[in-house]
Amino acid sequence: MNAVKKSKWNASPYFYLVPCMLVFAVFLFYPFFKTIFLSLFLTDKMGQAKVFVGMQNYMDLLTSESFRNSLKVTLIFVVIVVVGGMLLGLIAAVLCNKAFPGIRFFSTSYALPMAIASSSAAMIFEIMLHPTVGIVNKMLGLDINWLNNPDTALYCVAILTAWLNSGINFLYFSAGLGNIDETIYERASVDGAGSIQKFFSLTLPGLSPIMFYTLVVNIIQAFQSFGQIKILTEGGPDEATNVIVYSIYRDAFFNYRFGSAAAQSVILFIIVMLITLVMFRIEKKGVSY
Amino acid sequence: MKKRIVSVLLTTALTASLLAGCGGKSLEDQSGAQEGGDAAAAEAVEMAAAEDVDGTEITFWHSMGGVNGEAIDELVSRFNEENEYGITVVSEFQGEYDDALNKLKSAQIGNMGADLVQVYEIGTRFMIDSGWIVPMQQMIDEDGYDLSQIEPNLAAYYTIDDQLYSMPFNSSTPLMYYNKDMFDKAGITEVPTSLEGIEAIGDQLLNEGGAGEVMSLSIYGWFFEQFLGKQGLDYANNGNGREEAATAVAFDENGGAKNILDAWKSLNDKGYAPIVGKGGDAGLADFSSGKSAITLGSTASLKQILQDVNGKFEVGTAYFPSVKDSDEGGVSIGGASLWALNNQDPKKLRATWEFVKFLVSPESQAYWNAQTGYFPVTVAAQEEQVFKDNIAQYPQFQTAIDQLHDSSPEYVGALLSVFSEARATVESEIESMLNGNETSDEAVANMAETINSSIEEYSLVNE
Repeated sequence: MNAVKKSKWNASPYFYLVPCMLVFAVFLFYPFFKTIFLSLFLTDKMGQAKVFVGMQNYMDLLTSESFRNSLKVTLIFVVIVVVGGMLLGLIAAVLCNKAFPGIRFFSTSYALPMAIASSSAAMIFEIMLHPTVGIVNKMLGLDINWLNNPDTALYCVAILTAWLNSGINFLYFSAGLGNIDETIYERASVDGAGSIQKFFSLTLPGLSPIMFYTLVVNIIQAFQSFGQIKILTEGGPDEATNVIVYSIYRDAFFNYRFGSAAAQSVILFIIVMLITLVMFRIEKKGVSY
Repeated sequence: MKKRIVSVLLTTALTASLLAGCGGKSLEDQSGAQEGGDAAAAEAVEMAAAEDVDGTEITFWHSMGGVNGEAIDELVSRFNEENEYGITVVSEFQGEYDDALNKLKSAQIGNMGADLVQVYEIGTRFMIDSGWIVPMQQMIDEDGYDLSQIEPNLAAYYTIDDQLYSMPFNSSTPLMYYNKDMFDKAGITEVPTSLEGIEAIGDQLLNEGGAGEVMSLSIYGWFFEQFLGKQGLDYANNGNGREEAATAVAFDENGGAKNILDAWKSLNDKGYAPIVGKGGDAGLADFSSGKSAITLGSTASLKQILQDVNGKFEVGTAYFPSVKDSDEGGVSIGGASLWALNNQDPKKLRATWEFVKFLVSPESQAYWNAQTGYFPVTVAAQEEQVFKDNIAQYPQFQTAIDQLHDSSPEYVGALLSVFSEARATVESEIESMLNGNETSDEAVANMAETINSSIEEYSLVNE
């Protein structure tokens, strides 16, 4: 790591960073600061900052019942999506880690959700979950209006998202499993470990680096879920699925209140940032490279 | 260690992209606004003579997908082939109405947008206030066009201060669709004309008519507006926002909203009208599958419904119901109209106007009506053979025409700067009330409070 002497400052490595930093500056840093700037204003119908209100947008949000509901809904949504998506991916990956006939078929089908766009999946689910003509009610013999019932709508959207995310998780976990040295299992068998013991003492620790990465990516992805919510529920019924990202979209591109939308973006950013920091703390203890 | 750094970088990038994704668009609009603001004060532009426009190309933005989009493309290519002025129209599908309007805002940066754009009816106030447009009236006057060719009730919606601002193009009215077989089975000969009347025959339809539900009534803000119009009451103050921009809603004080919500809630409580979802189409599937006996929908849904029902039962159409039988009022229209944008180019303006004239010609409108089920905006379209064939095939459409002619232009509907938001507010409050989270009084109060504060903020920042 220390091939270059510390006393001699060398500029050339920094030049290599310029293209990357330029792209970041245009697409990330500038919008980032602009968003913070906008969040301090009321904006007109063109999205132009008009009236400076300071922290008022934030105060309004934090005292609004609707936004608190959004926070709650988002957290429930993220927990279901992350836990569900990772469990599905992990189980599928462990099952497919053994060689048996038809393995390719199973691997492909478990990885498939990765290839489906969230919006197309949502449209398929919309028909499947339709109370009158949908296959779900027909097969279960039920008469539930899944997407228009405040008690079920959030779970439907979350489970769909979990399934969608499980595809890429399956791929990560499969790769992670492939990296675990086979011989340690043999040694464990000799020592008389059962398969459950092997899974918890060998497989899980062996997967921990990839698991950590998957967790971080999954959480961030879950916070960003949008297409399926816009198509399936539009935040309803009665705000039961009004996650923050959807609420931001609504405020910005439907109500043309970019100020409030920007403030929500900043709050969401802070939440995701905090969660990420906490996870890196945990990483130090739980992850063995 | 290296891994740590990589993963930290990765996560930071991901988290930051979260923010950027949200902020990016507003930024575009932002930079656009500064230059767009000057264009707002642009001086009037006159049309060039029709002979001078040879080789002019204009861009037409629309929001018609699917079957309707194909019909538009057909009309455009007909115009491109047939017009004698050498005008070429490029039509571009810009997504749903909301999306198209958003794109228009971004595009107005340097007049990079369209020459003609289709905007939904609730965007009317926004377009008038935008300062980007040339009122249709100006071209009508310059060209000596006879406006009486246009259905008066349709033109009335887009006429403000005696000026026709935009040309009605795809207009629809709401209708009540009912399952005639169920009505016959239940022995009901008189079709109800009000929610009250529907409630009275609810049990008959369920027990004798074999209906699974009486009415699949989707929670749709447009229906709420129509129920107000059917009571003859205003949605907003200042003459429904037509004399001057509305400063507050009127439906709370005139009692109209409460009447609607009480009737709705009562239908729901008795199990006649369960929640089927939000938006205009949510109630249609239950009706087409033979579950519900009655549904409300746009005239533009007629063809779809008949196709889905496919002869399983006879579909009847009736006037959109009022709240009580004693109500006196009328329906207004939905759909969209065509707006000419001011691009400071007399030739393009003339080309745009020629294209508009073509689109509302009896021939085009008869074709358009037959293909889509939207209302023919030109009276003379009803004389076209295409129209006559269509009405012979779908006699139900006659109800829509009669209903519009029976309705007086005074029930033309409101104009509101924040209409799309107001509509969404109305929908979510109705939903909340039906779910038992609030009473009808609370729902009305919440609607009024939310919409009024939106109007207030809008007028504060858009002086």
